[in-house]
Amino acid sequence: MGGRRDRQSATVNRELVLGPLPPGVDAMIPAYLGRQRWYAGSAEPGDDDVSVVTAGELVTTVAQRRLLWARVEGEGARYQVLIGERPGGEPADFLGGHDAEVLGAVGSKYYYDATLDPELALALLAVVSDGSESAERVRPVSAEQSNTSLVYDDRIILKLFRRLLEGANPDVEVTTALSEAGFTRVAAPVAHWRYQGQDLAFAQRFLAGGSEGWALALTSLRDFYAASSSDPAEVGGDFSAEAARLGRMTAEMHLAMAAAFGVERRALAELWWPALLNSVEERLVRVGAEVGGGLPGAIAPFVGGLRAVGDPGPAIRVHGDYHLGQVMRTDSGWYVLDFEGEPARALEERVRPSSPLKDVAGMLRSLQYASRFVLGERADAEVAALVPRADAWEWHNRDAFLGGYRQAGGIDALLPGDTPTWSAVLAAYEVDKALYELDYERAYRPDWASIPLGAVTRLLASTGQR
Amino acid sequence: MSAALGDDPRWYQRAVFYEILVRGFYDSNNDGSGDLRGITAKLDYLQWLGIDCLWLLPFYQSPLRDGGYDISDFWTVLPEYGDLADAVELVEESHKRGIRIIADLVMNHTSDQHPWFVQSREGRTNPKADWYVWSDDDTRYADARVIFVDTEKSNWTFDAKRGQFYWHRFFAHQPDLNYDNPEVAETMLDVLRYWLDIGLDGFRLDAVPYLFEREGTNGENLPETHNYLKRLRKEVDDLYPGKVLLAEANQWPEDVVEYFGDDDECQMCFHFPVMPRMFMALRRQQRHPITEILSRTPDIPDGCQWGIFLRNHDELTLEMVTDEERDYMWAEYAKEPRMKRNMGIGRRLMPLVDNDRRVAELLHALLFSFPGSPILYYGDEIGMGDNIYLGDRDGVRTPMQWSPDRNAGFSRADFAQLYLPAIMDPVYGYQSVNVEAGLRNPSSQLHWTKRMLEVRKQHPVFGTGTFDVVSTDNPSVLAYMRSTRTVVGGGAASRGEAPDTVFCVCNLSRFAQPAELPLQRWEGKVPIELLGRTPFPRIGELPYFVTLAPYGFYWFELTDG
Repeated sequence: MGGRRDRQSATVNRELVLGPLPPGVDAMIPAYLGRQRWYAGSAEPGDDDVSVVTAGELVTTVAQRRLLWARVEGEGARYQVLIGERPGGEPADFLGGHDAEVLGAVGSKYYYDATLDPELALALLAVVSDGSESAERVRPVSAEQSNTSLVYDDRIILKLFRRLLEGANPDVEVTTALSEAGFTRVAAPVAHWRYQGQDLAFAQRFLAGGSEGWALALTSLRDFYAASSSDPAEVGGDFSAEAARLGRMTAEMHLAMAAAFGVERRALAELWWPALLNSVEERLVRVGAEVGGGLPGAIAPFVGGLRAVGDPGPAIRVHGDYHLGQVMRTDSGWYVLDFEGEPARALEERVRPSSPLKDVAGMLRSLQYASRFVLGERADAEVAALVPRADAWEWHNRDAFLGGYRQAGGIDALLPGDTPTWSAVLAAYEVDKALYELDYERAYRPDWASIPLGAVTRLLASTGQR
Repeated sequence: MSAALGDDPRWYQRAVFYEILVRGFYDSNNDGSGDLRGITAKLDYLQWLGIDCLWLLPFYQSPLRDGGYDISDFWTVLPEYGDLADAVELVEESHKRGIRIIADLVMNHTSDQHPWFVQSREGRTNPKADWYVWSDDDTRYADARVIFVDTEKSNWTFDAKRGQFYWHRFFAHQPDLNYDNPEVAETMLDVLRYWLDIGLDGFRLDAVPYLFEREGTNGENLPETHNYLKRLRKEVDDLYPGKVLLAEANQWPEDVVEYFGDDDECQMCFHFPVMPRMFMALRRQQRHPITEILSRTPDIPDGCQWGIFLRNHDELTLEMVTDEERDYMWAEYAKEPRMKRNMGIGRRLMPLVDNDRRVAELLHALLFSFPGSPILYYGDEIGMGDNIYLGDRDGVRTPMQWSPDRNAGFSRADFAQLYLPAIMDPVYGYQSVNVEAGLRNPSSQLHWTKRMLEVRKQHPVFGTGTFDVVSTDNPSVLAYMRSTRTVVGGGAASRGEAPDTVFCVCNLSRFAQPAELPLQRWEGKVPIELLGRTPFPRIGELPYFVTLAPYGFYWFELTDG
């Protein structure tokens, strides 16, 4: 294997030799892009929709292969493409089952997504780390949406940003800042690769042996829905101790965010809070008109209650897309991943400070989603009887998460002053998130739209009682 | 020494231990209480089962107010258990069968009826006056916690006769010996030599962290205590090579390793916290309670070994879990307040797992494949139950169930004469749960256990190999590799064992589970399932996919195919 790099090759590793892609390769890129999950454009972009902006070759010591690199513009967004070139003949084993990632042959050469090629993927680590890291083995992380990640020796994870942003990538920026602020619950940065002001790749310590929060929550729920007891605190798979620890870690993350990026004392009250309420009201009215029932009548009291909030508290840089899929339970506790924010929102909006309760709301929404998701696994005839369990699980773990969050020393300084305000601000962010989810589900998974819609209805009703 | 024992001085790294309550194992003279000759009579059974070493609970002269941990004469066998000749015969017969024996030795304290203490309390000037820890008031060593919080208010008790307080870390009837007195330190070495001379293979040293007391400390793990253990070990190494010292130090693993020293204190220590974590992982149906504690378990010196267990004669120890987890373990495993004892839960394995054979088997599979030497508790191999209505910790110390005959085949004494009644409830009663029934039924837990021990013995890597968790996305699946250590001059490699890798994968959930395992490092190897020797598909460059039945597990040997 080509994992080991000697000193000599290390010195040339980050060398990017600019120049056009080999003849014929440009023409294969549009079709290739259309087949990638991370490509946000159409499924079959035409030649005119895609253009190569910059291209070149990354110099490696892998024999008989080349590692080609390109930034391409496709239907209004920029992407990073890494292409392997090898001599023609027999297709390589590693391409088996990956037809979508193969660009094709030109003459005697064969072109494919370079991240599939273990030797080029190992070379890529050397490129990104400027020769300071090497590995014996590499494997891809499956089921990713917007980036491509590679795991080296269960020790390092390299995230290759596919859709490129102008300026710093928030994941790199925030992870590095939190790590420098002494927050240990992020995967420590190992190296990052920036070219002409754009972040291209980010290497971090791999959290070996960890479990995603989402998977743990589902494990707990599956146990509970099949248990003889209807009290979630009594069953073996109780998640609340984890939820409480997760809450505490979340508060520690916010304290570190405040330390690293500062605290806005007035901007939330003066600018972003009114804007949030306007946006929430506007979307509620639209949804209310569509679904009818008691919803339209509940909007005014709900929004009125929110508008009565005098000071929604300080604003800080937040995670922005905080949910159970972004946290990992490891043998040394919970870790938080992926600070890129909600991919569907504009970058400017993603990095905008907000109340830390925005992240809290995100996690609470995720707990409800998990409880409903597992309900969806059950037979239709069982669902009605299990709904009270879904609610019980959600509230049990919601309380535990909030309890853990509020227990963290110093967190009160980042939150609204009194409990009624606290609840109102949290409710605003929960409704905001649920409305965002509703749009998403209607567009992609209409069967799931009832989950966020139910949450909106419930939030409005409970606030009406307040 | 018998040839059947072999000549490996580090035998304890690969041994399977079996803990025996002398009183409860077998009654050879029909007086209602088990004895040493009773154990001798059952050695063939233990050999058949595949046991390498017996651990006998205290068999010394004692008023038995604490199960024999209150010794009143270190030189004498408790008459109910037999005499010195019986002990010698037991050792010789065991050794003939390739079975070693270690015995409990209580170093920290004696019974208040020990002649040393009887004399010591007489006054302040007699020859034993300074053999115990005396004080005019009860304010010294205030930082030492009270261990038996259910029964003791203080570590000091006033003795009216001497007019002073005496120090005791456990029950008030167990005064602590004063190790600052060189006569005490030397006499306890004599005790050790005496029993090693008759052929015992080592000791389980009870309550070792507490030997010395110093003001301003919690009285645990003091340097003076470690120095004394080094002295013990040197004595063993010089005069009794191949004998083992097993420390009972109920502490976090990072603190317990101190008792290995630089392989110059105890060769073995109990790993206490892994046990409650195994139970917790099963309840939570996810691996983190286990992997968390194993990841914070430090490496130990080359000649050393952990002792690991599922249950023993004490309660399920909860001192090592956090308060929140302790509440949880209590809530889950001790639904009746009577089951709570001190800081733990007094239950046997099968009642703890609601009599679920699959869970019991999975727990044993974990125990037999985790780093350390497994210690079985008598009766757990047949799935014995307990009796929570007996006082103190007696609920898990009932007679071994040998057959469906009267008194479980344990004794021919009158029922009323038994030291404790045999279990008779409809689920765990001796009429159905007994060795004879287990032997007759090929699918019994007993036969299963024997088979597991056979397989374990074929792979010394279970005892001496490295332990590495294999990542998987499914939190209910725990997968790990046990591989021969390659340290030059150390461990198994130096004994010429062939390199071996065993891959274990377990489902901690009550539902079937899939797992994708990144085994690319072992690409090309063919996993062979160890119980049935069935070859599984060769490991390729993609993640290795397995499906597991509820509470299912596999042990694979990785072969070149």
